[in-house]
Amino acid sequence: MIERTLTLSNRLGLHARAASKLVRTADRFEAEVWLEHDGRRVNAKSIMGVLLLAAPCGTELLVVCEGPDEDQAMEALASLVDARFGEDQ
Amino acid sequence: MSLALTGLGVTSGIAIGRVHRLTPGELSIPEYHLDHDAVAAEIERLRQAFGRGEHFFQRLLDRLGAGGAETARELLEAHRLILRDPLLIEATEERIRSERINAEWALVQQSEQLQNEFRRMADDYLALRREDLEQATSLVQRELADQPGTLIGSEVPHQLADTIVVAEELGPAEMTVLAQRKVAGLITEHGGPWSHAAILARSLEIPMLVGVHNALDLLGESEPIILDGHYGAVLAGPDDSLLGHYRDKREAWQRRRLDLRRYLGRPSRTVDDHAFTLLGNADLGPEFQRCLESGVDGVGLMRTEYLYLDHSQPDEDSQYRAYRAAVEIMQGRPVTIRTLDAGGDKLPTILAFAQGPNPALGLRGLRLSLAMKDLFRQQIRAILRASVHGPVEILLPMLTSIEEVRQARSFINACREDLRAEGEKIDPELPVGGMIETPAAALIADQLAAELDFFSIGTNDLIQYVLAIDRSDELVNYLYDPTHPAMLMLLRRIQQAGRRHNISVTVCGELAGNEQTARLLLGLGLDRLSMPPAALPAVKRSLLEADSRRCRAEVEAYLDGRSDHADGLALLKSLNDPSRDD
Repeated sequence: MIERTLTLSNRLGLHARAASKLVRTADRFEAEVWLEHDGRRVNAKSIMGVLLLAAPCGTELLVVCEGPDEDQAMEALASLVDARFGEDQ
Repeated sequence: MSLALTGLGVTSGIAIGRVHRLTPGELSIPEYHLDHDAVAAEIERLRQAFGRGEHFFQRLLDRLGAGGAETARELLEAHRLILRDPLLIEATEERIRSERINAEWALVQQSEQLQNEFRRMADDYLALRREDLEQATSLVQRELADQPGTLIGSEVPHQLADTIVVAEELGPAEMTVLAQRKVAGLITEHGGPWSHAAILARSLEIPMLVGVHNALDLLGESEPIILDGHYGAVLAGPDDSLLGHYRDKREAWQRRRLDLRRYLGRPSRTVDDHAFTLLGNADLGPEFQRCLESGVDGVGLMRTEYLYLDHSQPDEDSQYRAYRAAVEIMQGRPVTIRTLDAGGDKLPTILAFAQGPNPALGLRGLRLSLAMKDLFRQQIRAILRASVHGPVEILLPMLTSIEEVRQARSFINACREDLRAEGEKIDPELPVGGMIETPAAALIADQLAAELDFFSIGTNDLIQYVLAIDRSDELVNYLYDPTHPAMLMLLRRIQQAGRRHNISVTVCGELAGNEQTARLLLGLGLDRLSMPPAALPAVKRSLLEADSRRCRAEVEAYLDGRSDHADGLALLKSLNDPSRDD
């Protein structure tokens, strides 16, 4: 199991498109992926769970991956967040 | 106006809208329990329906290609992701497994719970996602019904905010779907105030009339009507002035409701710092949810009659599941479960064989339970088993003698011993209380208090028995007076007995849920009130702004004949006079 804290720097945080992209990314891997924020832990492969986290810009998100491809999953999520989900700002 | 129909108002709200006549089957979502060995196949059926739904969206996305409009793509993508969401699929599977219910029913429940979570987020964007969830779920429902997916497209209009649905009768699943679509109001030809649909309408605060004879024949599709729950009337073909009048009334009512919500979070203390306790009355899941949202300190009255509506004898396991679900929703707040209170006006059907000449004075409440031990044993065992999941109390209805209490307690103890011998875990301290709702019980309250762990006063029945009038009898209902001195003296007597024996006394029944009478009860020293969650905000405000010492002094003076109030009405008026609040 690996953990890493990622900081959301895109303008809208885990809203709309960002949530959808995150879920689709997590879904590509076999590993289980969890997100923690504000005492709440959700399955990163659940669109509704991710939306209900309602994590705004600036949030420090704890990502937990567990499974055979956990390293690749973490890498993919980190680069998605770092690239601000491909949003303009 | 061209036509006025009458029925029984289940809630006092007002709805204005156009008629939609619901034809049987139009919205029907089947509900049934599964045999143990059918569970696996049912879960497989659910997975396949989800799989087909997701596949349907995937094909649409593929067809849209890269050049498709971005918003359409996003919408479809959102639906597709919902249809593979573990929060929806796995949790629905778990419902099928643990409650042993069919896929359609489990899906309605899980979807409703998630939608409630979205509603709570109070965010416009998330509110839209709630609609996605609703639409995606309805696609799966259609798949389950073996109908190939067409995007949404049910015959029932998707948005019902301006629609009043008229039906012969409504089932709980239909109610859930109609509520999700924000139906303005409901009218049924059959069904009484204790039907599933009526209970749900009350808890969801949807204006509803039941027992409107021939409504389907007399009301035309799309006809504009007004539903007045307070007067139990349907006004068809209203003119502009009547419409205007009702629009104002509806708006004032909604404004007041929103206004009152502000008081919910405040600590329950009067202006002179007297603590009071507000509890909720609830029967079904959504009502417990509402209780929780209203900030109750517990459920003071969980009625169990509805469990007996569908089956004449629900088995122990299905009762256990219902009680456990209630206890779990309340997250550690105590739930007081009243044992079956059939008889009288409630559910005569299960008693068809035991109906005496005068049901109100016949085999009802605890008398019935003691006469039908198998029925009673199932219920007590189910309650005891649920008590490991959170604090539970048993409430015995319709007491008249100490002997009944002793019999019931020894029966409960025997059930407890049986369960222990079977290796079941149960709460060893589970309190057993009694409903004080007959004059006999009120008069021997002192003796009863020595035998019971708490009292609950059922004011509705007590008033009828004390004043010897049937409220539903139009010839005498003018005599129905909750402030009759005989009533107040009995209430004081019960309160004092409880205090002497150091047991809690809760008032349930209409007096407790009425903002006009809450201060009267406070003045009698009755500061634990249990009511429908919808009534709680107004009662809370009334008590927050009350001076308990003044209420006490005024009520005492009135009862001792030392006050100048001509009657109970004048007393109520003075107690609730805002100019005397400080």
